[in-house]
Amino acid sequence: QNILTVCFSVGYSVVALNHVIDFKEKKQEIIKPVSPSELFPSLPIVQGTSKKIKVLTRLTLIVSDPSHCNLLRSTSANIRLYDIIAVFPKTEKLFHIACTTLDVDLVCINVTEKLPFYFRRPPVNMAIDRGIYFELLYTPAIKDSTMRRYTISNAISLMQICKGKNIVISSAAERPLELRGPYDVANLGLLFGLSEGEAKAAVSTNCRAAMLHGETRKSACGVVYTVKKPRKVEEEETAVPACKKAKTQ
Amino acid sequence: RGPAGRAMAAAAFERRVLRRAAEHHYLRVRLELPDGGARPNAAQFKQLVVTALKELHGEVGAALPVDVLTYEEKTLSAILRVISSGFVKLWSALTLLGFYQNRRCAFRVLQTSPFLLALSGNSRELVL
Repeated sequence: QNILTVCFSVGYSVVALNHVIDFKEKKQEIIKPVSPSELFPSLPIVQGTSKKIKVLTRLTLIVSDPSHCNLLRSTSANIRLYDIIAVFPKTEKLFHIACTTLDVDLVCINVTEKLPFYFRRPPVNMAIDRGIYFELLYTPAIKDSTMRRYTISNAISLMQICKGKNIVISSAAERPLELRGPYDVANLGLLFGLSEGEAKAAVSTNCRAAMLHGETRKSACGVVYTVKKPRKVEEEETAVPACKKAKTQ
Repeated sequence: RGPAGRAMAAAAFERRVLRRAAEHHYLRVRLELPDGGARPNAAQFKQLVVTALKELHGEVGAALPVDVLTYEEKTLSAILRVISSGFVKLWSALTLLGFYQNRRCAFRVLQTSPFLLALSGNSRELVL
């Protein structure tokens, strides 16, 4: 709860609470997520706007065996209660399966140890087409210097393959001091090799897109957000031919 | 730029765009040390910044010209000045710093700007 309070003071508008399930241990059951209303009776307001902060729930599955993926396909009621589902593949085959067929929103990239497999372009491109985002964590980089090296090296190798698209940077903070502000995290994206616009997107627009992707799983086909568009479209169309005429004359 | 350019030529204005003209970048930072131990003084604070740079960017990073312009020991907040080419390195080094004398700490970067005057007002602290 302390962590959330710090989140709000630092300037985040949406926070997702993560619940990790490791399949190596036997008899893992997916429990119901803690409802955010139990933690906070009334959510504070985002700095600068008048909306309340959203708290979402998220599930991370550490898979090291193809049989673990069956859980995702089963219609367990508890999985539906989570807003975002992430998968953490440990082998190359599982990475391929996660990018191409699994119904998840995020694919976590390991930052605490050297990657046992190299990224290849086909599964990464398929994941980008499907709208799946790759997630990098930055909190291990704060704790330990060896992990810092692994974080940056894994991030750079991912950037080379995916060219900076579909990246989300998140923290796995367990203490309020391990959290960093959104602009600080966007700056870290520059270290990983992203351009400035991509780095900022990694903290803002890509995260929102991943959230919407999670919402599409709840609905049948997709999510449509309507935005009021200013009625300038017709005027622009008539203006364009006039400019063209001016140039030719 | 067609119609806009014609209007400007008629008024005889000249437009100059300066890119990356600022030499230094200024940062207002605050160190968060929750446990009630001894607070660093100005020299120790500078040492901490240089250590952070050294841990992340090595000797070359530690040699970056960083100045602590002001430092308040009570609130542990400071204004740093760094050469513009080293701005990203300094900011990332401060972000990834986790420990001060084996105590957990965190750097919160409050404002950054290429101009020192801009650090005087903070729109986030406005009480609306």
